[in-house]
Amino acid sequence: MVVLALRGGGDPFDLLGSVLSRSDDPATVAAVRVLGADAFAPCTLRGKTPTDADVALVEGAVGAFPPKPGASSASAWSHWGMRAALHRVRTGAPGPDLGPEPDPETGWVASEPWQRMTHQLSQLAALAVPGLPSPLAAAVAKRPVDLARGFVRAVRRRDWLQAAGAGRWLAVTEGVPASLGLDGGLDLIHHMGAADARVALQVRAAQLAREGASG
Amino acid sequence: MMPVGTPNTLATETMADDVESLLNPTEADGIFRDSAECAGLLLFVGALLLSPQTPRPKKG
Repeated sequence: MVVLALRGGGDPFDLLGSVLSRSDDPATVAAVRVLGADAFAPCTLRGKTPTDADVALVEGAVGAFPPKPGASSASAWSHWGMRAALHRVRTGAPGPDLGPEPDPETGWVASEPWQRMTHQLSQLAALAVPGLPSPLAAAVAKRPVDLARGFVRAVRRRDWLQAAGAGRWLAVTEGVPASLGLDGGLDLIHHMGAADARVALQVRAAQLAREGASG
Repeated sequence: MMPVGTPNTLATETMADDVESLLNPTEADGIFRDSAECAGLLLFVGALLLSPQTPRPKKG
């Protein structure tokens, strides 16, 4: 449903209605928590309006699965991204206003080897949204060449999901080498891996970000 | 009649660890194509195709 909406179909965007479930169904809530901020990708990337039920669903997912103490960076940042997306669809404000809770740490972006950094960032591709300032995006902006290197590595490993996630980060990051051929790479990833809806989602989100940046 | 709905008895607490592991999976093993192996296989198949026909016993 999210991919269909990103491609311009599926009007009106109704995530909950598309899965014929209730907003308090634990399995649905857990699935949305895993999907993360991309539950609202059609809203943040294409300007669609979420239904009240979808907003309640995401609120429920944020409340039901907070990161535990000592949780992974992926879990903490995914939770941050969902709260930022909720704030954005409620207020229309581009930046997050996340209250007194401190932001998750970003030191790993600078300290991890580029292979591991790319893998971690690909898990958090839902945060690669144009116009969403975040400490994570600021940290990524300091390693565009390493991220490009990780993108190529993922393609060569035929890890299409990681490649798509890395490509989405590259689409919103300045300083990416033009010699990378990101647009062609995204086309290849879509051709090879779009049978996986997660790959199709990341590639389409990256292409929308590219179209927004160029137009 | 078969039940059609997801049982609502599944508590979110029991799925918290599953959600955490899905949010932070380990890196998948890559699928590599060994260029030397591919070239060797190609040469072997080519040699088979180009080899002379197997001698047959003459009739009569």
